[in-house]
Amino acid sequence: MQFQKSAKINYLKLTHNMDFCIAISGAAGDGVRRGGLLVAKLLSSLGYNTFVYQEYQSLIRGGHNASVIRFSDRKIHSHRYYYDLFVCLEDYVLDLHKDRIKGLIIHDSKFECSNGNTIPIPMTEFIKEEHKPIIYRNAIVLGVLCRLLGIRFEVLEELFRKEYDDAESDILLAEEGYDYVKEIEPILKVEKIGDAKEVYSGNDAIAIGMMRAGLRNYYAYPMTPASSILHFLAKQEDVIAVQPESEIAAIMMALGSAFAGKRAAVATSGGGFALMTESISLAAMAEIPVLVVEAQRSSPSTGMATYTAQQDLDFVIHPAHGEFPLILASPITVEDAFSMTAELLNLAWKYQTPAILLTDKHLSESYESIDGLNGSVTEEKIEVVERCEGIFKRYEVTNTGISKIAFPPNIVKANSNEHDEFGFTTDNPQIATEMYAKRMRKEVAIKEDIQKREPYKVFNHGKDCIITWGSTFGAVKDVAEELGYKLIAMRYLRPLIVPEIKGRVIVVECNYSGLLANKIENKLSREVERINRWDGRPFTPEELRERLRGD
Amino acid sequence: MELEEAKEKIKKTITWCPGCGNFGILRAFEKAASKMEKVVVSSGIGCHGKISDYLILPSCHVIHGRVPPFLTGIKLANPDLTVVGFVGDGDALNEGIEHLVHAAKRNSDITIFLHNNGVFGLTTGQITATSPKGFRSKSTPKGNPEEPLNPIALMLVSGATFVARGYAGKVEHLSNIMYEAMKHKGFSFVEILQPCVSFNNTWKFYRKVVYEVDGARDFEEALKLSYQTNKIPIGVFYKVEKESYEEVLLNL
Repeated sequence: MQFQKSAKINYLKLTHNMDFCIAISGAAGDGVRRGGLLVAKLLSSLGYNTFVYQEYQSLIRGGHNASVIRFSDRKIHSHRYYYDLFVCLEDYVLDLHKDRIKGLIIHDSKFECSNGNTIPIPMTEFIKEEHKPIIYRNAIVLGVLCRLLGIRFEVLEELFRKEYDDAESDILLAEEGYDYVKEIEPILKVEKIGDAKEVYSGNDAIAIGMMRAGLRNYYAYPMTPASSILHFLAKQEDVIAVQPESEIAAIMMALGSAFAGKRAAVATSGGGFALMTESISLAAMAEIPVLVVEAQRSSPSTGMATYTAQQDLDFVIHPAHGEFPLILASPITVEDAFSMTAELLNLAWKYQTPAILLTDKHLSESYESIDGLNGSVTEEKIEVVERCEGIFKRYEVTNTGISKIAFPPNIVKANSNEHDEFGFTTDNPQIATEMYAKRMRKEVAIKEDIQKREPYKVFNHGKDCIITWGSTFGAVKDVAEELGYKLIAMRYLRPLIVPEIKGRVIVVECNYSGLLANKIENKLSREVERINRWDGRPFTPEELRERLRGD
Repeated sequence: MELEEAKEKIKKTITWCPGCGNFGILRAFEKAASKMEKVVVSSGIGCHGKISDYLILPSCHVIHGRVPPFLTGIKLANPDLTVVGFVGDGDALNEGIEHLVHAAKRNSDITIFLHNNGVFGLTTGQITATSPKGFRSKSTPKGNPEEPLNPIALMLVSGATFVARGYAGKVEHLSNIMYEAMKHKGFSFVEILQPCVSFNNTWKFYRKVVYEVDGARDFEEALKLSYQTNKIPIGVFYKVEKESYEEVLLNL
């Protein structure tokens, strides 16, 4: 069962009090992304849950950008295929979206738009009158949306004041937009339903999770979709965030910092991760803790650099030469990204081995409303030998495989060569046997530990079961219950702990081969069904529903 | 492990060839390091890399070509440490040359000692970035078709704030340079001429052409001096005081 563009995808009926999807589309440089985020913040300030999917191309000006904002009064983790309202900022983007539009179209009146139910707004004229650049059309759009969604203008005004030091122009233009559609009856009545929520991207949550677990040094070379973690951390006072000459330099700096006693992390995407792999093997051998974030994007090679994928699982699960303990996990929501990142940094230090957070563009760069990233996540301190005489027994052979740790200026000898308990290079077969086994024994302790944490999450009841990993959870969550499926969202991928499952199993993932499906088949010793796509686009609930029904 | 026990163990396990230039480098460094505090070292892959095992100091023997960023990571985590890296000509000028250039460019407060023997020794004799043109090796039986790199010139133009050259056969002189390099705040680079008795035995050659130069000079003079080949100058080529990378980043 593979992805084909279905001619007919049913509109997902609104089964809840409020579940509404807005898309804003224009060219790069129109501020579509920022616009989408502001809409989400506006709705979140009224207590709604939002999800914002950002689609953009690898270019700086022109082309096509879209921000899809879904909001609901219940928790959501995906956007929808159909838009209840479409904001069109450039004439040529309409074609790309027209099949998905189920409601009103708001467009800049600088161009004609004959598709169904349209409201032309003189956006370009308004900003020219105020001598403002094109990006200010966003403010007008927000004003128009505010009115059409039945939100009091003061709510928007307050948002602008919170977001910008000088918000007067935005407020003025928003008001012009609001007033322009004042005669039109609002299509919704969006009122405050609860406490304001905060809006975070997956990458924001990852960065905050790192800090919560005691991150001190962060190193990264820019690569979409991981770069915004660097941008976030570079603004923090208590983290040293550095952009070095390459991904190899980034991870080697992280290892240097960890060797000297500071918690360090790096983030990249598949290509940069490929460069880091030799150093990951070093980290495992020298038992230097490090957290590596790999934010997947469409591949192989440069692929479609700004589009999502889950194509790196096989690569990341055994990333480098040799056998060594490694912890690999993939968060399923923005909130999960926060707690899992912190957990992985803690585990890397607890077991003195590399931990990898495998995320994807759809989770890293999408936004969700959250009550606050306040989970009970903290830095789990490990025992450190503060002072030692002589040469420290850094690699003492123990039952668990975990040895005591100390840092320079104590005489601690770490080594990429096979070594004895003091870190001296050796090729003695007996010592090599013991030392290799000592490292590998950590896998037993890691598995026991993960089992006690949350290797997967289970939702709904049902004989048959859908399995997901990473962001794919979001869209499946929306339809699994309705179609009577149990849903298992895998979180840890190495060790991979799969519960007993009796009925049919369908694995949904954004790759061609069914990389997780293969591993599940292996675990269950039977065949599973697969739903895959590899076009760089995340699943939507509507598409999944068709494919699950068409089974 | 008691330090005396460690010394005995090291004495028994040194695996460099008899007559290797590395012995002189080790002796010179031990003397210089004994005058320093809180020294931590790292080394890359190659014969030189074994020095981590032979020093009673905190150390990490890392991977080929990647010593400089590892050192910067240490310094950023604990600026109190004196951070020293040993690298080879293949280990820093072939693989990982970008790290050396960028460490110099950012004036990271680390010290790099380049064991330059002009050949890959541990892999039994192939050309490196500093092998002379025409050099016959296992990988170039008809002679090296490439011109060698000039490490001193490369470091000067990359922004290193301390650039020097020493010779493994002049231990006292080398030790003084090493001490001065470690004392220098900012990126220090010392090229060490190192004969490889097995694959590029330059003892006789260096004894004839090496001569000492005094004191540092200005940038242009240093660059000019680095291109002198009929006689080979050793000593401090260039030295300048600048804010180090870590000072900027950590607001020290």
